[in-house]
Amino acid sequence: MVDEEDLPAWSEPFATARQLVRAANLSSVDRDWAWGGATGKGVTIAIIDSGVERDHPRVHGRLVESVAVQTTADGHHTVEPDPSGIDLFGHGTACAGIITGLAPEVDIVSVRVLGADLKGKGTAFAVGLEWAIERGVTVANLSLSSKSETLFPIFHELADDAYFKNIVLVSAANNVPAPSYPSLFASVISVAAHSEPDPFRFYYNPSPPVEFGAWGVDVPIAWKDGTEIVATGNSFAAPHIAGLVSLIASKHPGLTPFEIKAVLAATADNPRSQPT
Amino acid sequence: MSDDRSSDLHANLSALRASVLRASIAGRLHPDMEQRLLQSIVDATVRLFDAEASSIAIFETDPDRLVFRVAAGAQGAGAIGLSVAPTQGIAGYVYSTGQALALSDVGSDPRFNRKAAEKTGYVPRSIAAVPLLDESGSVGVLQVLDKRGEAAFTLRDMELLAVFAKQAATAIAATRVQRDLPSLLRSALSQLDGDLTDAQLESIVSAATAGLDDAEESPLWRVADAVAQVSTMGENEQELVAQILTAVAAHAKQRRRR
Repeated sequence: MVDEEDLPAWSEPFATARQLVRAANLSSVDRDWAWGGATGKGVTIAIIDSGVERDHPRVHGRLVESVAVQTTADGHHTVEPDPSGIDLFGHGTACAGIITGLAPEVDIVSVRVLGADLKGKGTAFAVGLEWAIERGVTVANLSLSSKSETLFPIFHELADDAYFKNIVLVSAANNVPAPSYPSLFASVISVAAHSEPDPFRFYYNPSPPVEFGAWGVDVPIAWKDGTEIVATGNSFAAPHIAGLVSLIASKHPGLTPFEIKAVLAATADNPRSQPT
Repeated sequence: MSDDRSSDLHANLSALRASVLRASIAGRLHPDMEQRLLQSIVDATVRLFDAEASSIAIFETDPDRLVFRVAAGAQGAGAIGLSVAPTQGIAGYVYSTGQALALSDVGSDPRFNRKAAEKTGYVPRSIAAVPLLDESGSVGVLQVLDKRGEAAFTLRDMELLAVFAKQAATAIAATRVQRDLPSLLRSALSQLDGDLTDAQLESIVSAATAGLDDAEESPLWRVADAVAQVSTMGENEQELVAQILTAVAAHAKQRRRR
């Protein structure tokens, strides 16, 4: 055995790697192993969106914290507590409702990055995402993205930061094949919509950048002011995967983003060829 | 900047000025080009989707609003001129997030957007909205209301709609460039020569565009405006004007030769 002291700096951790307990090979991973019996308990998910309506029946009272990105007089963005517990559009509540539908005991943190003085600015989104990563959550649902090339390096840095902190970013793919961040980054789980009405039905797409497909067509969703409507969009596919990720993370705490991605790929509904 | 390069730049000024003039006249002759392009896009959208209505809202500042500029379809007319806050409703969400969205069963929800919908005289059952995106982000929203005979929009619909939205965004970008020639010149020049200082850029731009904006009453603009008016008249009137202009031009040429 090599003496640990002789190892170059970046190699040191591998000396203890054999102590890590990891999942068995992927073919033995099934849905029962992945999330059977899980409720999302112990997992915190950030919903970076338009806010989450605290009292909406489909949120099941799981909102534990609400913050909002604000613009200061000199044009900077800060993150402040948002005790109002409201959703400006209904969209964040829709995501929350889909997630609690899958993982009823997950804790929700709402990070509002849209609002009267924000106009959906990419920088507000980045500031909100940074706050969620710093706060420490297990999963973040990003049913929005930025097209801004100038924000590319900022989102790249944030996506890496989340990845190395074991925070899974689940991002809605853009409907238009055009650059959008962070949904195009390899470290995030990027999701597009399929039309089969089953919240547990999802597919792995072997042709990235969009890696997973989940229900996103004619989805009955929670909406503003305690209502429900039926909606279509990748924004509603992403929370289905975020809900499943919450379940997996609650049953297997400490899994890394790449392990969770592998578990999702192993349990996806894609047709399987017989093992050879 | 060296003297040589300076003189090169100034030598090109007359060519630049000629182009600017031509573009200004083109803009003048078709002042509603953006409107017409956008109208053709909503017309096509309504036809293709067999929808009750389609409209395009453009983001405008001071105050920040999404203003419905064009609409088409049996139920579309009421939307024109209507404006909503960019933080409200489906259009606001799509504009703010750049994410496409479709909703159905809209009318069954009494609180949904009813105020704005009622202003148009039409409350839809279903709605699909996609952002108009350019390099800097959203500039507006393209909406379609109620496909006849179908309760909801499909993913394929969303994809098609995104293609139409791209055309609309391109049309807006193109006509805005035409409308703002000085800033176009500025950016073109600074790309050609990164060493130009702001002051140098400004002097070139103002030399090239001098007299274009402030000489509203110059004979040239009166001619351009008159030609623009003629373009909406009948063939006989246009033929008459063309003959008069040709005769005047020929006369002027002869006078110059003498």
